[in-house]
Amino acid sequence: MVRAKREPRSGGKLHGFAGGRSARYSAFELVRHGMRHGEWPRVWRECDLRSTYDVVVVGAGIHGLATAYYLATNHGMSRVAVLDRGYVGGGNSGRNTAIVRSNYLTPEGVRFYDRSVELYEHLSADLNFNIMFSQRGHLTLAHSDASLRTMAWRAEVNKLEGIDSSVIGPEEIKRLVPYLDVSDGTRYPVLGALYHPPGGTVRHDAVNWGYARGADARGVEIHQRTEVLGIDVEGGKVTGVRTDRGRISAPVVVNCTAGHATLVSDMVGVRMPVITHPLQAAVTEPVKVFLDAVVVSGTLHVYVSQTDRGELVFGASTDPFASYSMRGSLEFTEELAGHVLELMPALSRMRLLRQWAGLCDMTPDFSPIMGVTPVEGFLVDVGWGTYGYKAGPVAGETMAELIATGRTPELISPFGLDRFGEGRLVGEKGAASVGH
Amino acid sequence: MTAAVGEALGVGRLGPRAGEVIDREAPLRFRWDGRDFAAYRGDTIVSGLLAAGVKVFSRSFKYHRPRGVLSASFLDPGCTVQVGDEPNVRGAHRRVEPGMDVRPQNVWPSLRYDLKSANQLVGRFLGAGFYYKTFIKPERLWPAYEQVLKRFATGGRVSPGTPHGFYDKRYAHPDVLVAGGGPAGMAAALAAAGAGATVMLVEEHYELGGHLRYGGAAQLAALEELRAAVAAEAGIEVLTNSVVTGRYDDNWVAVLQRRHPDLVGGGFGPAGSPVVERLIKARTRSLVVAPGLVERPYVFEGNDLPGVMLSSAARRLVNLWAVRPGRAAVVLSANPDGDAAVEDLARAGVEIVGVLDARSGADLVRARAGRDGSLSAVELADGRSLDCDLLVTAVGWSAPTSLLNMAGDKPVYEPRAARFVPGGRQVAGVYATGGIAGDGSLDELVAHARATGAAAARGEPASSVAGLVLDAHPELFRAATHGMVDFSEDVSSKDLVSAAAEGYDSIELMKRYTTVTMGPSQGKLETVNAVAVLSEATGRSIGETGTTVWRPPYAPISLGALAGRIHEPVRHSPMQSWHEAHGARPLVAGQWIRPDHYGDPEAEVATVRERVGIIDVTPLGKLDLRGPDVPKLLNLLYVNKWSKLAVGSVRYGVMCAEDGVVLDDGVTGRLAEDRWMMSTTSSGAATVWEWAEAWLQTEHPDWAVHVTPVTTAYASINVAGPASRELLGRLCADVDISGEAFPYMNLRTATIAGVPGCWMWRIGFTGELSFEVHVPAGYGLHVWECLLAAGADLGVGAFGIEAQRIMRLEKGHFIVGQDTDGLTKALGAGLDWLVKTDKDDFVGRPELVWQDQERYQRLVGLQPLDGSVVPPESSQIVGAGDRIVGRITSSRRSPTLGRSVCLGFVDPELAEAGTVVTVLLPDRRRVPTRVMAHHAHYDPEGVRLRG
Repeated sequence: MVRAKREPRSGGKLHGFAGGRSARYSAFELVRHGMRHGEWPRVWRECDLRSTYDVVVVGAGIHGLATAYYLATNHGMSRVAVLDRGYVGGGNSGRNTAIVRSNYLTPEGVRFYDRSVELYEHLSADLNFNIMFSQRGHLTLAHSDASLRTMAWRAEVNKLEGIDSSVIGPEEIKRLVPYLDVSDGTRYPVLGALYHPPGGTVRHDAVNWGYARGADARGVEIHQRTEVLGIDVEGGKVTGVRTDRGRISAPVVVNCTAGHATLVSDMVGVRMPVITHPLQAAVTEPVKVFLDAVVVSGTLHVYVSQTDRGELVFGASTDPFASYSMRGSLEFTEELAGHVLELMPALSRMRLLRQWAGLCDMTPDFSPIMGVTPVEGFLVDVGWGTYGYKAGPVAGETMAELIATGRTPELISPFGLDRFGEGRLVGEKGAASVGH
Repeated sequence: MTAAVGEALGVGRLGPRAGEVIDREAPLRFRWDGRDFAAYRGDTIVSGLLAAGVKVFSRSFKYHRPRGVLSASFLDPGCTVQVGDEPNVRGAHRRVEPGMDVRPQNVWPSLRYDLKSANQLVGRFLGAGFYYKTFIKPERLWPAYEQVLKRFATGGRVSPGTPHGFYDKRYAHPDVLVAGGGPAGMAAALAAAGAGATVMLVEEHYELGGHLRYGGAAQLAALEELRAAVAAEAGIEVLTNSVVTGRYDDNWVAVLQRRHPDLVGGGFGPAGSPVVERLIKARTRSLVVAPGLVERPYVFEGNDLPGVMLSSAARRLVNLWAVRPGRAAVVLSANPDGDAAVEDLARAGVEIVGVLDARSGADLVRARAGRDGSLSAVELADGRSLDCDLLVTAVGWSAPTSLLNMAGDKPVYEPRAARFVPGGRQVAGVYATGGIAGDGSLDELVAHARATGAAAARGEPASSVAGLVLDAHPELFRAATHGMVDFSEDVSSKDLVSAAAEGYDSIELMKRYTTVTMGPSQGKLETVNAVAVLSEATGRSIGETGTTVWRPPYAPISLGALAGRIHEPVRHSPMQSWHEAHGARPLVAGQWIRPDHYGDPEAEVATVRERVGIIDVTPLGKLDLRGPDVPKLLNLLYVNKWSKLAVGSVRYGVMCAEDGVVLDDGVTGRLAEDRWMMSTTSSGAATVWEWAEAWLQTEHPDWAVHVTPVTTAYASINVAGPASRELLGRLCADVDISGEAFPYMNLRTATIAGVPGCWMWRIGFTGELSFEVHVPAGYGLHVWECLLAAGADLGVGAFGIEAQRIMRLEKGHFIVGQDTDGLTKALGAGLDWLVKTDKDDFVGRPELVWQDQERYQRLVGLQPLDGSVVPPESSQIVGAGDRIVGRITSSRRSPTLGRSVCLGFVDPELAEAGTVVTVLLPDRRRVPTRVMAHHAHYDPEGVRLRG
């Protein structure tokens, strides 16, 4: 695979674990613990809330945790608190379908997500936590000339950016996904697919926990069950946050929330061009593994992958209405099942086990909002729509750099809030709508 | 009968029981694990096998431990089997059918000798989440490790040839829907029906009755009485072997009617097509939740051995299927149900080795396995050890509150009763009764259910019914040893304690880390024990610890049932039969299937350019707009001006979204003073309709406009080419279609080929003189055939989409969605001439006024210098260092010009006519290509179409 010149990897070895109980994870330690029935140290500490921090991150999802982790590892900033009103990874970070890929449509998007894939590739080792990144290949099916044309467009942009991505025909698709019906007798025949071999899935909880553990080991404090009630601003500058556990002084507050990005930004009066839509997902009972690749169909509004445990994980497009509801609907499962069976008719006897919903903060150009705001010290990393998880590592890395250096890194400069006032929309609609 | 069959009917089978559900007159044969077995009609797979002496039905997920009966119910985690091509069948629930091919799951290579059970030996290293802590380095080996992990995925197999089967759906509107057909459910249904309500009574088992079915004489008598009353009540529809899978907003309730052997070959499907499953979608005024209680396993070492089961399981086996669950039993009892199990077992001839009364402090420590891997002895807290092959526990019940929680209720823990109970949040139209609501004698429960059913029928609040009391029950969750909490996931209490110590110490984190409660029963058996173990580990109370969120579905539901018959609509024009008869190659265009071409698209182009051709454009979106305020609507939606369009005229318009991005285009004509016809792109028909309605309904409800989509009410035919006027004139007697009387961009109503009520307009997507006629759909084929017949001497021919695409590209007409994308603003698409920013307001105006248009790529006509090269669409245009500076959006060989022609986007500084840019083909060839002065490659002045 062709790769452009690379920046050095972020992160690095874990040095900071306190002594005493052995902390590093490895097969050797696993055996040692098994023999002695010893206890593993806590993944992260429970801390008292201090009255002042250098940086307060709102939201203990992948974006907030990664930001804190890279602040500590890459920039030596550890007087950092990550606050969450729930538990680590309990929002979208624990509700998404954990697909990782970089075959986007615009050069900006491709470069950004490719850096993320690169970070994911080494994240298990960097975090000393197996995040189970499974680069099983990612297929976006084309059921019409029009979508085949879009796939070709993406493939061409991807190739120019050094991404392994190409359009393949039905025969090769069948070889990769034997259960897929590629005959021309189906309602929406499979004409081809955009194939992206490095794409795949991660174990989302593991990424959350790995970042939390790594950040904690370097002094970052993670405060679960700590709700931000307000953010104090004086003279156009952030001075701190008010929580249900007390007030904290901090010159920098980063909004890393999803589903509630507008509500948190409203606390400082910064309006976000964001509309929140529910996105539903579902999982089946496990069966023996028969599906290797991640399969996406935009026409049929569905994406599917099989976990190593054997469950099929399904997602679809966002609900068409704005809502903060996280309840699943019956209609979603009916439509989903119909679409899945159009693709793979042999699955009719598999059973849906559980359905849920996450909240997607959609922006007008299907791209995030990252960086500074008119309120000094109030930074945002929001508007992640349906594509936030795959970007977690690179978002954290770049936000940390911005916080530490005060300069907006090149990779995220297209995603500033000011673009909406200047007509510089990025435009990932084609690749992002149902583009998992 | 083979020896195996003879044995099967005998060895574990008891003499007739009063409440048995088997038909001893109807023996049947089936296969298990490759061998012949026999059972009776009415047996479940598991009861039939148990009667034949089979004790082990599966191997566990992680450690491949042998698993037998635990609950003898749908939830039984160890009894999941493969039946033919159906994976994960609940063997303790599914009735056995003649010829059934049942196989064990998760065994390798066989149920009896499972090599993966070696995992037990290294189990101490494979605690919860072990995979997060290893396989980290070297990175390159992880893919190989992952392949090994995948082999341990549990569950049955999906066969690639599984047929879809016949699934159906039904809508229902009962006044009252009762979830659960035990005594409370039946009583509630009776009271509701008695109050005049129509009632749907849904029971998960094959027959009504709940726990009464396996009770003593008094319970059976009560059951008979209730069943007879239900049968006699015309207002109650009874669905057995069915389950309420979800309660959604506004009492939208999903009911899964499972495969029912009695329905095979008939029932509610068409003859010969047995319905596999049916999804009933019910909008009910009142939902009465009466699922009863689920007996809870006890956590101790060896609690998953074959031979260890719940009291309700033992009683079901004995009383419903006349199966002896063991020979020598120890019973741990903390409640009357355990005591009843002792009596049932004794009556069934099982030797009672010991009864441990937990109410007086007796307890067990661990269960031990014999050589065959199943239970052989129980160690007691008092130091004794009792040999036995059956250990029955009765340590408490859990309330399956899931449906109430879907309605917004949150369960609360009641320590005195040792179970979570409904939180009491009043949700209009949702009621609870039976064991989930509280305890009491049968009479008390039935009285509560009757009051609840009557309240539900009358729409009175649930709080109007006096509540049930809760009986005291000891809190018994775990013995002094560690054992399985989640049997499907192989998660032990020790795993949970370790996870809590590591910091995964909230129930949600613990669930995610250990996968406890993530298996097929979704926590109905396991959650309370998991919470109890966590509470013990953290020192927080069970109430503080709380439960995970219960999500739909309540019971797993097949994809087939959810999908139903699968309705992916196909749309064909009325001329489809002609297209098929004339060799049209189909093109899938959204919901429509259209003729791409009839064999030779270039020849079709020549027909149009030289003579006359007709194309079926029925999918073109058509909206009939009526009312005095239509011009306001048009001015709002389109970027150009509409107030002055005269009756009989047509105008081209482009719509933008609020962000100035091109949304759709088409022509709109004025048929009469207050009647207009808007056309949209084929793919945009629905979007534009919704778009217009959205603006009318949300922003301008005061405007007098009616929008009616009439896309399929008219068949649309474009007649194009120099001879089109001649051809149409022959079929259209009542309208003068001469160039003077019917100029370009005009519209007329007409009678065409004898069909009145048609309308036509002169427009020219192909660049030729052309008339688009719209005829009532029922006459589409007639008019189509008349055109072909009348024009035979003119050389008329049909042309398809491909020829149209070539010609519109020759003419430089862009297609929204192909030559524009989600970022193309009207100005970038070269529509500067159309956008009238001096209008008061229109959708997208602020963006278009304010945008810095110089920064946007421009749509331009492009021609490769080498006209023989046709760049594939989506080829990128690159600058220095292969920086992307544009792309080809449309590209064809033009048969008219004998060279390739393209449309594409380029950076603004390259948009000047004459600039030569580099097109990079997918095969990496580089093609110098000239930017043209016009989009149109052919007849840029439009002489031909105005002719």
